[in-house]
Amino acid sequence: MMEKYIEILKASGADAWEAVKTKTRGWEFYFIGHRLDQNRAVDVETVSLTVYKLDAEGKSLGIANAVVAPTETEEGLKKIVTDLVYQASLVKNKPYTLNGPKPYEPVKADLRPVRDEALDVINALNGIAENEMQYVNSFEVFVNRVEKHLVNSEGVDVVEHYPTSQLDVVVNAKKDGHEIELYRLYEAGSQDKDGIRRDVEELMKFGKDRLDAVPTPVNGPMAVVFSTDAALDLYKFLLINLDAAYVIRGMSAFELGKPISEEGEGDKITLESVRILKGSPHNVACDPEGAPIRDAVLIRDSVPERYVGGRMFSQYLGLEDSFRVSNWRVSGGHRTGEELRCGEFLEVVEFSDFTVDEATGDIFGEIRLAYYHDGKGNVTPVSGGSISGSMIDNLSDLKMSEERRIYSNAEIPAVTRLAHMSVAGVETATEEA
Amino acid sequence: MKAPFSKYLDSLVPGLKKLIGILGEKYDYVSVLSTDTKGLALRISQHDKSVSNHTIATERGTVVRVCKDKLYSEYAMDRFDPEKPEQAAEEIMSVLDAELAMLREAGAAVYETGLLPDEPLELFVEKEAEQLPEECSLQEIVDRLSGISDKGMTLSEYMLDCFVIAQSTHVSKLFLTKNRFLRQSYVYTEGFVAAFVGKDGRNKVGGESFSGLGGPELFDCMEEKLKPAFDKAMAMLSAERIVPGEYEIITDPSISGIIAHEAFGHGVEMDMFVKDRALGAEYIDKRVGSDLVTMHEGALCAENVSSYAFDDEGTLAGDVTEIDHGILKAGIADALAAVRLGVQPTGNGKRQNFAHKVYTRMTNTLFDAGNDSLEDMIKSIKFGYLLEAPKSGMEDPKHWGIQVIMNIGREIKDGKLTGKVVSPIIMTGYVPDLLGNISMVGTEREVSGSGYCGKGHKEYVKTADGGPYLKTIGRLG
Repeated sequence: MMEKYIEILKASGADAWEAVKTKTRGWEFYFIGHRLDQNRAVDVETVSLTVYKLDAEGKSLGIANAVVAPTETEEGLKKIVTDLVYQASLVKNKPYTLNGPKPYEPVKADLRPVRDEALDVINALNGIAENEMQYVNSFEVFVNRVEKHLVNSEGVDVVEHYPTSQLDVVVNAKKDGHEIELYRLYEAGSQDKDGIRRDVEELMKFGKDRLDAVPTPVNGPMAVVFSTDAALDLYKFLLINLDAAYVIRGMSAFELGKPISEEGEGDKITLESVRILKGSPHNVACDPEGAPIRDAVLIRDSVPERYVGGRMFSQYLGLEDSFRVSNWRVSGGHRTGEELRCGEFLEVVEFSDFTVDEATGDIFGEIRLAYYHDGKGNVTPVSGGSISGSMIDNLSDLKMSEERRIYSNAEIPAVTRLAHMSVAGVETATEEA
Repeated sequence: MKAPFSKYLDSLVPGLKKLIGILGEKYDYVSVLSTDTKGLALRISQHDKSVSNHTIATERGTVVRVCKDKLYSEYAMDRFDPEKPEQAAEEIMSVLDAELAMLREAGAAVYETGLLPDEPLELFVEKEAEQLPEECSLQEIVDRLSGISDKGMTLSEYMLDCFVIAQSTHVSKLFLTKNRFLRQSYVYTEGFVAAFVGKDGRNKVGGESFSGLGGPELFDCMEEKLKPAFDKAMAMLSAERIVPGEYEIITDPSISGIIAHEAFGHGVEMDMFVKDRALGAEYIDKRVGSDLVTMHEGALCAENVSSYAFDDEGTLAGDVTEIDHGILKAGIADALAAVRLGVQPTGNGKRQNFAHKVYTRMTNTLFDAGNDSLEDMIKSIKFGYLLEAPKSGMEDPKHWGIQVIMNIGREIKDGKLTGKVVSPIIMTGYVPDLLGNISMVGTEREVSGSGYCGKGHKEYVKTADGGPYLKTIGRLG
């Protein structure tokens, strides 16, 4: 069928075109406790067609895209593509060219049968040590095999096969008639079953502490330590500011060769694109536009070395050899996590929600469970209230552990300390109502 | 005009009926949902402009639900050939049997569930729309939206970019069982204008959105969204940080809607009752808010992005009074949760698309209006904030915690707005406290459906929420 799309696109009069076919076959299992709520299977295929049309003088480029169903008739496809060429003529962008074919190293994906992967994940969840006070409330398992085929008018023709999976887990803890829940979503290529077991058992400990937590007693400025997946969002702010689109729009906070912050007490941050990261669901050879993905240092010792991004904005920025980052790593810490846990600070391990605004760097989070360290050796589990601050204000003094941890497609410091945060605690114990 | 129902879906009906017949020989229950949803998405900024027929809601495919021995299973596909239903049936049974063999190896016990009702029902609904996204005059729309973005750039030297995003979605859905034959077609439209401003190395984004039931003709209102979006961005640029603490607050209708959505939207989704994940189950007929609080939820409550005639399980749309004068009266339930809990389904079974599972999901979640004017609310406050510009919300249905992030807080002192703005603001609290402290309720209710709602951190669907201005007490940080 790909041949049919290509034939129609070639005959369309478009100046350039791209076709991406994605086939996904997946098995899904939903459990309430450890009882099967529902099983599902998915066998779907999407085809994305994009056409590019230059105006008569070649001074502007129009772009139009359609996602077509595999059941679309040939007649229907021809009409869709004809419409796309017209639609593209209506929108005017600065011209750029699509990626051409470049050598790339194929990724050897672990493509074991979905049956085996699903069975191992279910067994891992069923093997978790539970008791009446801390237990798995429910979980959902998604295991997919994906085939992606990208062809464009400049000669790119890439086929990739890769696994993706998701595990959604809810853990409950109860005591004296009071019950709480904690939630995790694990995304991976193939799941790390031992890691899941360890992590869910740690989650149960958090649940137990959550039941003993007192309302967050502190208000005002406070150092905050991050040691769970919320820290990902802190570092994504760095990555987004290196995106060529952000730079072109004048929104990037960073300039090449200029430190991302003033000199402070913080660690020098290094951020890299990593082609292959263990367990990542994004271990692919080429980005969504066919550019080979490479290992590359983007920020070295807190100084940006290169921008990255999609073809359009990369070319606008004069980056011929660019790509979209799939996996990434942050390093540069030279203290242990334990060394970062010093003095007075709040270590937040569970948020109801946590956000770092990509455009502004503003940080927000509601505290579901944190540990308040008073600097005198006392540690108290606390809950409620919120933290807020800004990545911009924290970069100079940001400290990272030398130990790192992988979350999905990123490897980041296991412990991160932000010195300049604000805590809005809870002065009254409203949760007893 | 009527939004026409998909001819493609009509062409599937004979084949799907045969498929149901074949599967019915093996399974105790069989249903089919087929979808054919078309769209138009325009993205205009100073640096990139594109047009697409793809939105998060566009889809074409079929999901088959079967039940055997009290276990429900589903198979989602997008290459159903109505001439070959036998082939599809064979594939469905083969794959589901393979899954069950693996589950037996895992020793998985079944959460047993009774059969869904299947009383005879036939329905054909085509809702009104002046234009269709697949047939509208694109040139005119592109020119108009580009003009808005260009005009935005003239408003200030601090403007970095001006985004105009406009989407229209034409939904066609077909639901079939042995006894049910339901078809519906409707169009909804939404848009967003965002002003990106920057000064002294700091960026802020102010946005204004709209949504409604209808076609691309609704894009006409987008120009009037530009100035408020710009004003918000500029206010944020010069805003101060709030001093954390508990304040008297007034929530504008957009913030009231987020509170409704987070507090007693998610909090009474009854698939969570089945999993014992929601505190609401224990509070039916108990007080959860002040006497001024009445809240409705349902596809029939308003005309917006989720105002369908039947849900993704073939249950007719409803209107549930969740809270009546402060007393929690009822939750919302998808069909399977309803069977498990022994209650009636409320028409809230929704999928992200045909390839995704059904969960209990919100449609329109709304506070009722009251009798107080905004002016009187402001006059009644000694020191507090008028809250606007929601960014996101989150709830904890097991613990009734709520979090709302907002971009604008307008200071009120001695009954007057002072002109001072704080930003950003995070409001956290305990739902019964927040609702219990509602002491004034505005007279006009507004509904917004421009966002998406997730279940956990996935399964995104369109929902709408809203209410009037509300005065209460909130913890802000």
